[in-house]
Formats: sequence, C-alpha cells, structure tokens
Amino acid sequence: MSQPESRIRILTSGIIKENPTLVLMIGLCPTLATTMSARDGLGMAAAAGFVLIGSNLVVSAARRLVPDAVRIPIFIIIISTFVTIIDYVMQAYQPSLYKVLGVFVPLIVVNCIILGRAEAFAYRRGVLDSLLDAVGKTLGFALVLFVMGALRELIGSGTFFGRPVLPSTYRAAPMLFMLFPPGAFFLIGILKALVNKSGIGK
Amino acid sequence: MNPAKIFLGAFLVNNILLMRFIGLCPFFGVSSSVSTSVGMSAAVLFVMLLAAWVSWLLYHLLLVPFGLVFLRTAVFILVIAALVQFVEMFLKRYARALYSALGIYLPLITTNCAILGVTFLNIDYKFSLLQATIFALGTAAGFALAIVLFAAIRERLDDAPITPALRGYPIAFIGASLVSLAFLGFSALFGIN
Amino acid sequence: MKESRVWMVASLVLTCAVAAFALSQVYAVTRPKIDYQRKVKAVQEALAAVMPAAASFHEQEPGEMWFALDAQGNRIGTVLKAAKQGYAGPVPVTVGIGLDGRIVAVRVASASEGLKETPGLGLKATEPSFLSGFVGKTAPEVRLTRDGGAIDAITGATITSRAVADGVSEAMERHLEEPAP
Repeated sequence: MSQPESRIRILTSGIIKENPTLVLMIGLCPTLATTMSARDGLGMAAAAGFVLIGSNLVVSAARRLVPDAVRIPIFIIIISTFVTIIDYVMQAYQPSLYKVLGVFVPLIVVNCIILGRAEAFAYRRGVLDSLLDAVGKTLGFALVLFVMGALRELIGSGTFFGRPVLPSTYRAAPMLFMLFPPGAFFLIGILKALVNKSGIGK
Repeated sequence: MNPAKIFLGAFLVNNILLMRFIGLCPFFGVSSSVSTSVGMSAAVLFVMLLAAWVSWLLYHLLLVPFGLVFLRTAVFILVIAALVQFVEMFLKRYARALYSALGIYLPLITTNCAILGVTFLNIDYKFSLLQATIFALGTAAGFALAIVLFAAIRERLDDAPITPALRGYPIAFIGASLVSLAFLGFSALFGIN
Repeated sequence: MKESRVWMVASLVLTCAVAAFALSQVYAVTRPKIDYQRKVKAVQEALAAVMPAAASFHEQEPGEMWFALDAQGNRIGTVLKAAKQGYAGPVPVTVGIGLDGRIVAVRVASASEGLKETPGLGLKATEPSFLSGFVGKTAPEVRLTRDGGAIDAITGATITSRAVADGVSEAMERHLEEPAP
C-alpha cells in the first residue's frame, strides 16, 4: 500500500461513502426484516455491531497466527462465537427485543458485512485500524436501520420509539403497508434511489 | 402441523424471500436473468435439503443429548460451509455436467441466509425430521418461485426506459415490493398465517 | 511456520477449543436468567389465555391472583388460580373473571405441565368443549349439575370434571371475598 489512510477516514468512510447497506449493498436481510420500528432497528444494529467489532478485533489481533489456508473456517468460528454470545446475552437481558429480532440474531453469522470486513480488512490491518473500521461500518449500518425503522414506524403506526407522534386520526388508520414486507422493499428502493441521485459512493 | 400446511406455509404464505426477507443477497445478485436464477434455485434446493438433514441430526443426536445446545450457531454454519465444499468436490468428480451447470452458485450458497435460516427454523418450530424435510422442500420451492418470477420481471425492466436515479437496485427493490405485495395476498390462505 | 500443516490443524483445533470454552461460560452465566424469563413468559401466556382483552397483569397475590389491566391501566377483570384434587393428582385451573362477576374463560393445566388425569377420559375435561361451558357463568352456577350447578360433567370423567368445577368455584369464592375495585 502506498500511503496510510488517516484513521479518521477509516472511521467515517463506513458511515456514508462506504455505507454497508446502501452503498456496498450487503447486510440487506436484517435491514428489511427488523426495521418495523426505530427501536428494533437500533437493537439489530447494536447486536450486529457487537459481533462486527468483536470479530474484527480478534481477527486483527490474531492475524499473524492464522494460516492463510484455513482462515475462512477460523473466521467463521470466531464470528459464530460472538453471535452466540450476543444471542444468549440478549435472551437473558432483553427478551422482548430477542423475540422481535427472532431468527435474525443467529443469522448475524452470515451477515456479509462481518465476514467481508474480516477478510478484506481485519486480516490485513492493525488492531486499531480494524476497530475503527468496525465502528464506522456499524455506525453506517445503524444509520440506515434507524432511518428505515423510524420511517416505517412513523408512517406505519404513527409512533416513534413507541410514543404516539402523529395525530390520533392518522393513528386510527395508518398506512400499514409500511409495516409489511412490501413496504420495506419499497422504502429501501426509495432510499437507494436517493443515494444514487446524490452520487454517494460513485 | 400437517405436511400440506407446512409445505404451503413455506412455499407461499411465509415465502422465505418475499415475506421473511431471508436470502436476499443472492436474490438481488443473481436474479438479473431467468437462467441463472434457475441454476441458483437448483443449487439451493440441493444444499438446503442436505443441510436441513445434517443439522437436524447433529442437533438432536449430538448437541441436545450432550448439553451442547449453545454450540448450535457455530455447528450449523460450519456444517453448511463443509457441506458446500463436499458437494462441490463430489459433483466435480462424479457429475461434471451438473457441476458446470451450477457453476459459481455453489460457493455463493455458504453465505445464503436462507439455508442457515431453515436449519434454525427447523429447531424453533420443533419439527420432526420428516416435517423438517417438508419445510426445507417448501422453502426451496418458495425461493425458486420468488427468484424466477423476479428475474423474469427484471429482464423486462432492462429494456424499459427508467430514470437514472432509479436504475438498477432501486427499481429492483420497488419491483420486489410489488411481487411481495402479491405474495402478501397469500397470507391466511388455507388457514395458515 | 505459520503455514505449516501442523499449525493449520492446530490453529483450527485451538480456535474451536477456545470458542467452545468461552461459549460454555457465557451459557452458564446467562442460563439462570433465561430460565427465569421462560417462567415469566409461561405465566403471562397462561394469564393472557383466560383474559385475552387484557394489555397487562398486576400480580395481586403472588402465584394466586392477578388484576387484568387494559392499555390505560384500568382494571378490567381478575385472574385466579386454584387446584382441587382430581383423579390422579391436583387439577390446576386458571380462571378469568370479568368486572361483572361472570367468567371470561377457564384454562386447565396441560399434561405437559404436570396434569396427571387419564388421557381420553379425564383429560377431556381440559378441552374447550367442556371449558366453554363455564363462560358467562356466575359463582352459584359453577358446579356440576349433579351438585346443584349448571355445568354438565363429562361422561366417564366425573371426578376430573368435578375437580375442574370445584377449582373454578373456589376461585370465584376467593374473588368475591376480596374488596371490590
């Protein structure tokens, strides 16, 4: 590599320029499935973020010891360990969130973002850089999940974080479409169109 | 739950791609043409069935009796990764034609959330081995239906005049939204929700 | 050395061992909390089964009586538990009672929850066809017809039917005893 990227650049690129969901187009499943409310979306981002940060740290710290030939299975073991940890911790201390996220908690293990960053970044870079990369990508992921969740909740039930926000006349007959799968697809299509229009990531 | 309900539930009512949102990465990556979608569906069916069996057996015959349930996530994903490797090697050696037909889709399947999703759902729903088999078949069929339908739409979209901002992913998502809306119409069909 | 065959296998084994160990520890720590959550959930489900209109429940007497509340926190009914001796063991019943003193629903513990009555006979008393006969009844009506009430016993399962009816009856008596809301 020619010149070291600034650490700030590593951190911030994950938020907008290399936003995992809207620019790199990975990690779509949880983005659509767990964003029926702002709180659920953020909860999902926090869980995935825990795994991403944890695995990036461990992979980076152990990178000189991991043989190239078996690195993928080792990454998988490391990632699934973190996923299992957050799975049980959430079951014990946040059962309502666990119930909402359902099968998507263990599915974090196949979230392309995490294996992708371990392979493309953490395996080749130092611990601090990998940490910043993970935090940046998590923030970017959280941003999209939050926007999706907040919009779907607002339009689909008239609330925000569970608190009623829109007038009760709207809340009596909200646009339920947004809470159902078609609404999620539609919304992310609009968001992606906005991203395309703005030229981010080009 | 009777077999027909399990199958129809997995195939239509709770379609894995369009209603559960599981398996989307390959959905958007591969559905640009009908032929590749068919290829992917065949590979998915093959691996999903094998993965469902192996993971179910390992879970009920090994993990549960030995109190190792907490290893479930790791074991399942490793099983799938290993299965895909073996299937690839096996096909390459003994079924060259099928191997070349499936091509690059085989390795792609490892990160296919749908396969792992099915293995977990089989446990969550407390299915027997037979029920798990039907569920896997129904899910693979649902995957195939959704992806092939969608690919047909996308092939048409390629020729349509679409404003630049919407070209590519955005219009694909909106298209998926409409197909998903159609599938939403299946909910409560046959009394399955 | 990093790429040697030995280390390839060793690193895999080592990673698995460390992972398995870490997970077993996490599991041990979180297990009690998870089991507790499961119990709480089971109780909530049983309560909701007899008082579907309730948004939440307030435990008035631990394990025995709950107030059913609506979304605004107003009391809309009461849920009580009772257990009379049946044919082969106690028959736990959960009764939902509305503000008008009439039964909303009755639920009996299932075999998987420890109910020991005879399958095909006594267990029939746990089915909706029998239990729906309790809905809307008031305290005096909640006894078997042969005991002076309005509930028909199940043929061949008199003892279990009586246990259920007596359990519901006791629940209703306790309900009448506590001060009006």
